Amino acid sequence: MTDFLKGYDIQYWLESAPQGYLEGTEYGHQPGEQEPPVVLQNEVLHEQAIRSTVQLVLGERCALAASSGLINAAPDEASKRFLATQTLDEARHVEVFTHRLHDLGVKKSELESTLKEYGNPNLVKFAELLLEKVDKKDFVAGVVGQNVILEGMAFRVFEMLHAANESANPKFAHILSGTIADERRHVGFGENRIGSLVRENPDRKPDIERLQKEMSYYMLATFGDAFRQGPSPEEVDQILEKEGVKREKPGEWQGVKLGQATPEELEGVLGDTILKEFKLRLGRIGIEYQTPIQP
Amino acid sequence: MSAGDPLTAPQDEGPRRRFELDDRGFDEVPRKYRKYYRRWQGPDDELAPNEVLCPVCKVVVRSARELRVGDRIYCMACMTRMRIVRDDQGRLVGECEY
Amino acid sequence: MAEGGADLHQMDPEAFREHVRSFQFWLDAVEGYLEGTEYGHQPDTPEAILEPLERDRLITVLCNYCMGETAALEGAGGLIAIAPNRATKVFLATQTVDEGRHLEVLVHRLRELGVAEPELEIDRRASPKLKSFKIRLHEFVHGRDWEAALFAQNVILEAMEFAVFHRHARTADPRTREILEGIIKDERRHIGFGENELGRRLRGNGDVRERLREVRRELDPLVLGCFEETLASVGTPSDERVDLSRSYVQAVERLGFA
Repeated sequence: MTDFLKGYDIQYWLESAPQGYLEGTEYGHQPGEQEPPVVLQNEVLHEQAIRSTVQLVLGERCALAASSGLINAAPDEASKRFLATQTLDEARHVEVFTHRLHDLGVKKSELESTLKEYGNPNLVKFAELLLEKVDKKDFVAGVVGQNVILEGMAFRVFEMLHAANESANPKFAHILSGTIADERRHVGFGENRIGSLVRENPDRKPDIERLQKEMSYYMLATFGDAFRQGPSPEEVDQILEKEGVKREKPGEWQGVKLGQATPEELEGVLGDTILKEFKLRLGRIGIEYQTPIQP
Repeated sequence: MSAGDPLTAPQDEGPRRRFELDDRGFDEVPRKYRKYYRRWQGPDDELAPNEVLCPVCKVVVRSARELRVGDRIYCMACMTRMRIVRDDQGRLVGECEY
Repeated sequence: MAEGGADLHQMDPEAFREHVRSFQFWLDAVEGYLEGTEYGHQPDTPEAILEPLERDRLITVLCNYCMGETAALEGAGGLIAIAPNRATKVFLATQTVDEGRHLEVLVHRLRELGVAEPELEIDRRASPKLKSFKIRLHEFVHGRDWEAALFAQNVILEAMEFAVFHRHARTADPRTREILEGIIKDERRHIGFGENELGRRLRGNGDVRERLREVRRELDPLVLGCFEETLASVGTPSDERVDLSRSYVQAVERLGFA
């Protein structure tokens, strides 16, 4: 167990993140980059940008509370140290996404009310469930909830958002690429740590399967809501034409043209990818996927 | 710094002297703020009229202008906000503003 | 933000407070002294030749530091959950990784000194007083007592470590010295944060002040006793050990606990 954690030490983290892909960035993006004017000026796109960023802030606040709480529950010193780096990664994500909300015009005094107004209730429920486990110092439940379910699923969503914004909004795409790089380590740790734990304690398997069944519903429901709430590709086209903005070549992800796909198509491809990969991940850990229960 | 020395003693009136700040190798704050700080060399370290010792972390805080009573200064090394006051020996010192 | 010709000291006080507690500030600050280091020291810093007794003493001292840093790592992580606002949570996340780094570089130093099982050795050699302090700190954190936990961690523990590491760095072998100097740079932020945060809360709040006085009475002997032992182990003359608590006492006095 300790051997695989060598790859997750703070020295490695320092060289790869602060002295690597984050060097020279300001709040996650290149200095001077700004939101495209159309995102700030058009009501529909502006609201959509705020709504999606709110989910990111809420998800990252949950991850910050969970990873910091898990330090005390971790059974070994190497896991504690890894979780210290994850804690700071999550705090950085909270900071950069909150900063984006301010760049989008949300005043500091309006931050909490904006989060409340746009926050997805399913995401809030997931956070409550996860933090309940962390409060009880349940290390296994905490890592499964945070590093396997929350991050394992969000990782693919971030990738899709990145592909969609790469040419249309380089500032947001840069913020996302740093976040994705961080998440890679977190999902790797989750998979490796829980995998080794299952190998060492096969009796914990049913327990972990029960947790997955219980916790993954809210995450899937959050993603579903996110697509249904956004403007359709036709609406976006009309807006861009009206605002006189040249349509960039649509980003492509998993064979789907992101600027042209319907919300149903997006939900379908994301669901397929998330679930497919999630099942594979669980399989590698030695866990059989359980269809989530609808509460 | 001697309180009676006309060259180094703080003045409370008249135009303030300006100081060109240079990087003294203090590497604990972001690069663009390094010129505002230097390491303290101990009790024999003579502070210039634009310098004050942070009481919390013992780093010398520097300003581009001569310091006077009532000025606000910041120590970024320990994140402390201070107000310049005179101590009982007449020296300018930083008092923490929490 | 004080770019180019703008004067840093003219910055709005609230903007300053928010900026220095951000991840962005931490990122730009640590770059100056951590870049190029490997496990806390330059890769080409030579290993000193230590006499067996000297090496054994150093291992005991480092085991105590590791116990203190483990307490600080768990304490800082736990404080995030009870921190009063987002900026404070972000700052504590930077402190958490600082403490994790301190533990890592000290454990790595133990390995360089030939300790095969650092975790066992830390448990075996660390002072019982420090273990008691760690338990008490965690009780404050788990009891969600923000003021007492912050006072125990960022004022008492950090101020004492700051003083001891300073003293030890003066006489330490080159690798240990570089490691300690890096830790001291991080700790400036931690003690400043603790003092500022508590200073604001103590203003006009007699109940909190009285409670923290009690905490201090309880924890002082544990920490002072432990670091007194540590300083003796690194060969600090007894008259010089009296100076040990000076910076700690000054910090406490500034908060009105004289």
